[in-house]
Amino acid sequence: MLISRVPMPSAAWPGPPQVGALREDGTVDPARAEGIPDELAVALYEQMVLSRETDAHLVALQRQGRITHHASAAGEEAAIVGAAAGVRDEDWMFLASREFAAALWRGMPLGALVHHALGTARGPGRGRDTYAPPFWKPARVVSASPLSATQIPHAAGVAWSARARREDVAALVFFGEGATSSADFHAGLNFAGVTRAPLIAVCRNNGWATSLPSDRQTASDGFAVKAVAYGVRAVRVDGGDVIAVLAVVREARARAAAGEGCTLIEAVVPPRPDSGDVSSSPADPIARMRRHLEGRGLWSDDRDARLRDEVHADVRRAIAEADAEPSSPTPDFTDDVYASLPWHLREQRQAMAPRDPAAGG
Amino acid sequence: MVQAINDALAHEMRRDDRVVVLGEDVGRVGGVFRVTQGLWEEFGDERVVDTPLSEGGIVGAAIGMALYGLVPIPEIQFADFIYPAFDQIVSELAKLRWRSGGEYPAKVVIRAPVGGGIRGGLYHSQSPEALFIHVAGLKVVCPSSPYDAKGLLLASIRDPDPVLFFEPKRIYRAAKGEVPDGEYTLPLGVAAVVRPGRHVTVIAWGAMLYEAIAAADQASQSGVECEVIDLRTLWPVDIETIVASVKKTGRVIVVHEAPKTCGFGAELVALVNEKAFFCLEAPPARVCGFDTPFPYALEMEYLPLARRILPAIIETAGI
Repeated sequence: MLISRVPMPSAAWPGPPQVGALREDGTVDPARAEGIPDELAVALYEQMVLSRETDAHLVALQRQGRITHHASAAGEEAAIVGAAAGVRDEDWMFLASREFAAALWRGMPLGALVHHALGTARGPGRGRDTYAPPFWKPARVVSASPLSATQIPHAAGVAWSARARREDVAALVFFGEGATSSADFHAGLNFAGVTRAPLIAVCRNNGWATSLPSDRQTASDGFAVKAVAYGVRAVRVDGGDVIAVLAVVREARARAAAGEGCTLIEAVVPPRPDSGDVSSSPADPIARMRRHLEGRGLWSDDRDARLRDEVHADVRRAIAEADAEPSSPTPDFTDDVYASLPWHLREQRQAMAPRDPAAGG
Repeated sequence: MVQAINDALAHEMRRDDRVVVLGEDVGRVGGVFRVTQGLWEEFGDERVVDTPLSEGGIVGAAIGMALYGLVPIPEIQFADFIYPAFDQIVSELAKLRWRSGGEYPAKVVIRAPVGGGIRGGLYHSQSPEALFIHVAGLKVVCPSSPYDAKGLLLASIRDPDPVLFFEPKRIYRAAKGEVPDGEYTLPLGVAAVVRPGRHVTVIAWGAMLYEAIAAADQASQSGVECEVIDLRTLWPVDIETIVASVKKTGRVIVVHEAPKTCGFGAELVALVNEKAFFCLEAPPARVCGFDTPFPYALEMEYLPLARRILPAIIETAGI
């Protein structure tokens, strides 16, 4: 039996109003459309389509039992791609479980992601951990462990370092709304608040943390309002609206550059339709962006079909290439525990039985 | 020892501007044991950071600083308070190099006072080293003298791996000795034979080293010459020095403050059994803290002092 809900005086502490840019008819709030040139608008759309297609394939591989875990970003592409596009190349990005498209936006090759997902030795994580999207050092992308929210203090520490070194670098950190219940969310936001660290914290609120609805996660009016207690800026944005997400993240980045510290952004992601097929929903962030591109005269059915064919082929090729990769012949998991192999690991490595490929080892 | 650690921190902060000290009360106050005294005045807010009261936040932020390229040295005010940071240490710090395929190591040296004997009671006296030795990816150091403290801390800061640097607070001020002003390091993973002997090997570290030496001195009056080893680095442990000594003596005693069960002594005895079993002439012995919380009023009963070590030496020696 559920505990009866205590009515909370949430109206006394209302969350900020939700920012949006894309309208139903595909037009865009002129105040938010500035600085979204045609090329960028198309690139955002293409990236969201790539994300959706990659997801479909990785989910299929998971269902076939060929990979253990893939956290789908379907329906959340706008929050992820918009945020990644809103920061600068020199900024750090700390991912949670679903943000592979943010890493792709920053230049991680699709092949690296797929090698990682399949756990090959050529993946950036050398097949050791496939839970979250991989590390991608060339673009300062840091992967997450499954312990939700532990990455938030890391991002705060990076942001603090940039500020202390007087370098105009910010940290963007993603997490789901469930992470806001953890001690590390509190520690990270509080640290960033106290030190005015240039941290942009993006909370994807998709309404559910695994099985728990968000009103069982918090009694506050949404999640952005939590920023108030840390003395950092609170923003709530339509997380299905890539242009609005991009705009609020850019604003947060500009405030960070101006020494105004941290912003907590709650990206409210539209609930998944009961069918589970996000593409069928008028609230699908990809469909919304497509209407916008069409309204700007930048898109057509023909061009869309070409893009989807291309993306489909790209993903299939990446999977085929990763599939062809032989599994690591050397038991290298004793490497990288320490910078060099200490005596006890040397002993254990020597005692390791040779791998038996027939046993799938 | 407080001065020696302070000197090491100041030395390294002058040498390398990436080195940052952070923690609760480490700045203006200079730490509750005054280990960081004067650093804030010399290096300022951005090198010596008074943090909010959150051990998980301190270590978590330090990991971010390390990723950025700084060399953070967080202080946990008492090792007893390290548990809120346990997740960050075990799940994140220890595993970053491995998870990232070697791309993203996070170099952090966590300093924390350990041990009893200052009337600290159960939440200011614990010795949690075994919990961290058990975690792949961490190094654990515990000096016993001012000279070693400076040399080992400088080595810990320059080592590429994360280090837990446990400072035995009972001898923060009691342990005295000459410490050179300048630059020197002591290699990690190298123990010191502080008292040569041929009958019984006694392994100790930190504050209990002095109890082991005192017991060894008393035992020699009964004709038992103990070889006392100060591990200095607990992990990776200097197995060669231990095995060489046990092969000579055939008898071994491990002394530590932490509770006996699954304490580091258990691992040391297992290693001796694996590597020198046929040289043993008596069962290995452990003289440890009890499997209880640390008692405030009876800390001298709890600690493995010389008066408890001596009978173990006599018994192990078989005289």
